[in-house]
Amino acid sequence: MLGTACTQHHQSDHHEIVFAVAQAPLNLDPRYATDAASERINRLIYQSLVDFDVHSKPIASLATWLEVNPKQYRFTLNKPRALFHNQTALNANDVKATYDSLAALKDSPHTAEFANIQQIDVLNSDTLVFRLKWPDKHFPAKLIIGILPADLLAKHQDFTHQPVGNGALKFVSWQNKLMLQRVKDGQKISVLEVKDPTVRVLKLLHGEVDLLQGELPPELVKYLQTQSEIKLKSSVGANFSYLGLNMQDQFLKKLKVRQAIAHAIDRNAIITKVMVANTRIASAILPPEHYTNDASLPPYDYNPALAKQLLKEAGVSLPLKLVYKTSTDAQRLRFATIMQAQMQPAGIDLEIRSLDWGTFFSDIKQGNFQLYGLTWVGIKTPDIYLKALGSNSNPPNGFNRGRYTDSALDSLIANENWPAVTMRIHQQLPYIPLWYEGQFAVMVKGINNYLPKFDGNWDDLATIRTYAH
Amino acid sequence: MFIIKKISNLATVIFGVLLLTFLLIHLVPGDPVDVMLGESASTADRVQLREDLGLNQPLIQQFGSYLRKLSVGDFGYSIQTKTPIIELIKMRYPATLKLAFLSLIIGLSIGIPLGIYAALKAGKWQDLVVTLVSVRLSAMPAFWLGPMLMLIFAVWLGWLPVSGMESKASIVLPALTLGFGLSAILTRMTRTSLLEVLNDDYIRTARAKGISEPNVIIRHALRAALLPIITIVGLQMGGLLAGTVITETIFSWDGIGRLLVESIEKRDYPVTQACVLVVALSYVLVNLFTDVLYRLADPRVKFAS
Repeated sequence: MLGTACTQHHQSDHHEIVFAVAQAPLNLDPRYATDAASERINRLIYQSLVDFDVHSKPIASLATWLEVNPKQYRFTLNKPRALFHNQTALNANDVKATYDSLAALKDSPHTAEFANIQQIDVLNSDTLVFRLKWPDKHFPAKLIIGILPADLLAKHQDFTHQPVGNGALKFVSWQNKLMLQRVKDGQKISVLEVKDPTVRVLKLLHGEVDLLQGELPPELVKYLQTQSEIKLKSSVGANFSYLGLNMQDQFLKKLKVRQAIAHAIDRNAIITKVMVANTRIASAILPPEHYTNDASLPPYDYNPALAKQLLKEAGVSLPLKLVYKTSTDAQRLRFATIMQAQMQPAGIDLEIRSLDWGTFFSDIKQGNFQLYGLTWVGIKTPDIYLKALGSNSNPPNGFNRGRYTDSALDSLIANENWPAVTMRIHQQLPYIPLWYEGQFAVMVKGINNYLPKFDGNWDDLATIRTYAH
Repeated sequence: MFIIKKISNLATVIFGVLLLTFLLIHLVPGDPVDVMLGESASTADRVQLREDLGLNQPLIQQFGSYLRKLSVGDFGYSIQTKTPIIELIKMRYPATLKLAFLSLIIGLSIGIPLGIYAALKAGKWQDLVVTLVSVRLSAMPAFWLGPMLMLIFAVWLGWLPVSGMESKASIVLPALTLGFGLSAILTRMTRTSLLEVLNDDYIRTARAKGISEPNVIIRHALRAALLPIITIVGLQMGGLLAGTVITETIFSWDGIGRLLVESIEKRDYPVTQACVLVVALSYVLVNLFTDVLYRLADPRVKFAS
């Protein structure tokens, strides 16, 4: 259908840059936001104390910090710093008010993350001290919540719908689309939800939209690359896709069965045939460029004969019947179908169950699965190992959905011996690593200064430019 | 008297819908506390929030409390967006109403004349063409017809926007997508229904009395043929007012159907309950209206007491 599409291109009104996304932000209050779109937009509306470098090491954003002792951190706000969008100056009281208000909320998904804060003391307008209940070496890396103005917090401002931050973009309106304006030069940028990928592409071709990022099937990306009015920018990604395993299952608790599954998936074929450019085979949760990662971990190669052999050695009668749960997302279903075909020669009979997101995720959290497919998005800190695979991190105490218990891994995590942690996970396979999906953005030719980032953030909306063409 | 009886029946239906929705929602896997607090919250925090939201109470008490709030127009807040639900409904339902009425107008203005034409040309090539077109149209799903219309009218011809709600013209393509489907059904129904009455004695009598053919068709035959058409229009309109999820999704039309499906996906229970209530109300009101139209179209129709 699209083969004959782009006969007319209507140049859009470049007073405003229109960015179409599959899912609009749900909540612009950083104390509540959990969905990827809200977090990406909130990074632009607000600034946080801490951010991360390309190796995911925490770095100063609004403030530098000093570890006074493992239970006390002193933060000093940088100068100069941007005013809040209501033209008031940001100071240490705003930081305290933000984190105090977060601790007081009873219905925020982020409150538990900061349960360790005992007290926040403001020393002067630029300096404050966080006192903790128990030592936490990674505490600064958690301070990524956008800072809100203390006076508006006191007035119970509705930040969800009327956000006021001091980020590069300020809020204008939110009706059918979210309208933002760049503080520096007044450039208007709107974020428009268009769920259907084909419709997003048609809108780009028609000039109603200037920019798309990710969330398109590879065939549409390939088609767009043939269009003279459209350009594509891509980069490697860091979001980790994996197969989750129920470690209490009678078959999956056997290491040889897990190894067999790892050898029964031809990741190279999937990446080459049905994924976008720059997708990389994954060996660990955190990507090779992460400061904790041991880049030398070899991926499990596709070897159905070896997989079958491993299953026999594990004492499993073939074919091994397994149920794989996934969401209704078309691309996820496509991966599931391919893996089902790839596993067959290895003696694995994979039954696919596609469930609506709420039911699927509820089943995963309750441990009601054998195999499932998910992606960790935007993971920066190595405490993911403890939360996702620690023996005491079963839901609701963490994300150890497969109920994996491994005292050796627990002690390696406790000692922060990250190369050994990644090696242990690689050998024991509580997850079957799949890939880090490549990131890409497609845009009309008149758009410049926009590049997709490895974690999929939209930070370049702060610098994006549009030129008439 | 008839209307009062109908309205009291409708109240029973609405109560039944509310009760059923409430119970079903509590049977579906997923928990609003999990949605709100995520996976890292402590058990104590979960228990506290469950208590604050009244979710620790027996279901019957929760339902009673829900009805009490509803009786004063308090639909509550969205768990996901913290928006008052009444605001969401006010924003989304008019969009659905607008789309539904325009689709109905398109469906009626194409379907009924074409159906009459096909009936008058029954057995001839014109009848065959109309039947073929209407069968084709009714066989086209919205997820195919919608993008095709976008391709033709937006991308190729550049006359209309692809999707969205930014301009007044944005409604045309989704309304055509729905209207074409409806017109196909109405064409076939009008043709069949009209053919049945055209051979009746009173039509022959009317013609024998020298009444002009257009008058025979419009005043005598069509009026009698209207009853099944009204039924179909009522049912279709109920469906349109319930929101047409696929069309609304494809065209980024922020209507009630899309809101309902999104709220189910996100386990935003208060929004789901409010949407179901609005949809149920729409259905029963359209049904009531259809019954009244029935009586107007054919005074012989009596309603059981």
